[in-house]
Amino acid sequence: MTTNTDGFTFETEALSYMDQLYAAALRMTRNPADAEDLVQETFAKAFAAEDKFTPGTNLKAWLYRIQTNAFINTYRKKQREPKRTDADAVEDWQLAAAATHQSSGLASAEQVALDGIGDDDVRNALSELSDDFRMAVYLSDVEGFAYKEIAEIMDTPVGTVMSRLHRGRRMLREKLRDYAAERGIYDHKAGS
Amino acid sequence: MPKRQCQEALDKLFEYIDGELTDEELLRIGAHLRDCPPCEAEHRINERIRLLVSQAHGDKAPHQLRERVLSTIQMAREESR
Ligand SMILES: [Zn+2]
Repeated sequence: MTTNTDGFTFETEALSYMDQLYAAALRMTRNPADAEDLVQETFAKAFAAEDKFTPGTNLKAWLYRIQTNAFINTYRKKQREPKRTDADAVEDWQLAAAATHQSSGLASAEQVALDGIGDDDVRNALSELSDDFRMAVYLSDVEGFAYKEIAEIMDTPVGTVMSRLHRGRRMLREKLRDYAAERGIYDHKAGS
Repeated sequence: MPKRQCQEALDKLFEYIDGELTDEELLRIGAHLRDCPPCEAEHRINERIRLLVSQAHGDKAPHQLRERVLSTIQMAREESR
């Protein structure tokens, strides 16, 4: 990914990720002022630790890791996350139970409902997930990081990343269904 | 109840969508999805949601943030000189 040619400088490449880091910071902190502070802190830390970065490795993932750590250490303490252990306690059998077909009527009703879902709905639904789920989904869906990279960024085993993704996406999907149902564009009795 | 092949496809659906499967699994599950409309419907819905999430998040950094960061870097560079 990283081209280590003559034109490459750490600074230029790092700065090119600012929009992405800011968008991620908005999702993490859920507030523009904190997001700016977080990105500022991320760059300050990154440049202070520049000599610890190995050229030719993934700079973007390295920056995300710094930002994720900064978020956990500074902002998460400030925010107080209620009840996150509840969601973490979902048993495996519940995961397995969820992996079944639905009727074709329900599936097409859901596909129709998704046509009526806008960007604001998606952002709201994502912002309602707890930090760990929200970040896993964001890093995968928006940034396209591989599971292994997300594991490094979030400093957690790959298995945990996978279960956060599974649960996070399932919750997100349920929330989108709820929004659509509230607006009368999802008929949850279709085909039953 | 879904068949055994369905169960595997549904269990690995996210890995399929995220490009995290081995070639062998990828081919097996891809073939199942083509043959099995209910699994393919699940696949489409999840892929659609992934796309919705990726499209909803293109915020740009405000220019005052860019300025703040640039001046921080400059200060750090001057200090280290
Ligand atoms: Zn099937």
